[in-house]
Amino acid sequence: MSEVAVAGGRTALRGGLGPRPAVARLDTRRALQLGLAGIWLLDGVLQYQPFMYTTGFGHLLAATAAGNPSVIARPITWDATLVEHHLVLLNTIFATVQLLLGLGIAFRPTVRLALGASIAWSLGVWWFGEGLGGVLSGTADPLSGAPGAVILYALLAVLLWPADRPAGAAPFIAARAVGAHLARALWAVLWLSLAYFALLPANRAPQALNGMLTGMEVAQPAWLAAIESDAASLVAHQGLAASIVLAVACVLAAVGVYLPRRAAAAALVLAVVLAAVIWVVGEALGMILASGATDPNSGPLLALLALAYWPASTAPTPQAATPATPAPPADAAGNAAGNAADATGSPA
Amino acid sequence: MTPTWIFDVLAAVMVAVAVVSAARLAAARPWRRGPAILGPAILGADAAHLLMAIAMAGMLAPRLRTLPDTGWEVVFGVLIAWFAFWVARDARESGARALAADHCGAPHLVHSGSMLYMFLATTSAAGMAGMAGMNELPGSSGSTMLTLDYPTLAFAFALILIGYSLWDLDQLSGRRYGLAGARVSLAGIGATNLPALTGAESVTAVPGSDGSDGSGANGGDAVREILLSPAVKVGCRVAMGAVMAFIMLIAI
Repeated sequence: MSEVAVAGGRTALRGGLGPRPAVARLDTRRALQLGLAGIWLLDGVLQYQPFMYTTGFGHLLAATAAGNPSVIARPITWDATLVEHHLVLLNTIFATVQLLLGLGIAFRPTVRLALGASIAWSLGVWWFGEGLGGVLSGTADPLSGAPGAVILYALLAVLLWPADRPAGAAPFIAARAVGAHLARALWAVLWLSLAYFALLPANRAPQALNGMLTGMEVAQPAWLAAIESDAASLVAHQGLAASIVLAVACVLAAVGVYLPRRAAAAALVLAVVLAAVIWVVGEALGMILASGATDPNSGPLLALLALAYWPASTAPTPQAATPATPAPPADAAGNAAGNAADATGSPA
Repeated sequence: MTPTWIFDVLAAVMVAVAVVSAARLAAARPWRRGPAILGPAILGADAAHLLMAIAMAGMLAPRLRTLPDTGWEVVFGVLIAWFAFWVARDARESGARALAADHCGAPHLVHSGSMLYMFLATTSAAGMAGMAGMNELPGSSGSTMLTLDYPTLAFAFALILIGYSLWDLDQLSGRRYGLAGARVSLAGIGATNLPALTGAESVTAVPGSDGSDGSGANGGDAVREILLSPAVKVGCRVAMGAVMAFIMLIAI
């Protein structure tokens, strides 16, 4: 039992402004882990919505098989049929698993277990629930969640894994677990793939984007419907131009992490802005406000990823880094104890 | 429709929270206290938890309904004013940090606001005869379909509630809050027993303060100490915040 002496007694009598509890230390990576936990939690709760307990959910799953190679599509169809036959049981399991993943990441002693489980779960859902995000069917569109929101959960779990590579300093949070080279490569692959998907024939057709945005207006609150309507008007018959602009922006974001610190930060700001545009305009906040959303979609995850690549103030840029003069870890200042705790997954 | 039993499980969780909060209030023996008991983190937190848990249990399971909606709107309106006073007071001293501090009532202010919003923004799509306007969730027995007006506000509240719950869970598992109470001596006014003084320290019996000889805690004291610990209070808050966010998102 600890003992706390409150001098004078006035503090207690004021009824709430007494001695402050010591806050368990929260470093940047832990904060991002909590962000990921929050998105999992949101995902899990959305899975309990009434719509998910109707055959509409099974149809939603079955629809993701379309256009995929049969080796991919057949298991999706089987899974969708199974879900339709055992809707209440399976959907409740799905929702509960996702809820537990969120709570598990937020609960420090289980963070490793939950992150590991989330990777396996995400890969399964990416296939059986999202049809690999339309990557193989030619329907992937960065504005509607390509390459599949759920694969971004897995990517974040890997990059935010509570471990630190022994060699040298990490120039950003995402590099701490997998190293700077691999982390940058993953980022570049993701954003270059988004650029590629933006230029697919189905997405660059003159009215493709307009049609998609117009369809988003249905059942939305007035303010969001107005945004969708205005955006649809803006890109009417401008599908190719809009796709090129989006692709160029994605390429800039992709290469940004290889640039010096200031330029990298600018590219990451661009990535966050793109994530916001994708989430608000392209995904209509994941259609959450229109009911029937299975998850918040890719926008918040892309933003979270960008924050994981934010250059540390004291870290070396790729050009400046030399083995002889290693810089401190990404958020080393004052965080040494927490980093150690993170590395072990133990409470700070 | 979402199965009724899911709502029943959550209602049971809320009943458990209500029981624990009531037990904490009783164990704190507020009738023996002076003005010290009136702060947001002392009497306010547990009383608010108790009221919110009862109200939410009624939303989740209609047979557990207690007050009419108007009654709850008044209750939560008063709680909002109460916690807003304490948050404003703490904000003057701590600035924006008051929003993240649990001892001043910021989370309770958000919880109270969420509850009031839920009662005010209810739209029953298929109201039952004689029960129009009563809150029920889609799928809960009674078959009134509840949706919330201003879904954007519901979503915003849900995000904040999830954020607070995860923060609390992180801090709970980071051992910010213990199951053991802290022994507090209030110099100048004598030692006393206070529950969950600041959200971080609950206060247990100090020898001589209640007529006992302080020769050692017995089993009852140990239970009481655990009951009054900050960890239990924060655990209740996590459960309430999560269930509240659940109701908001389901009813969008």
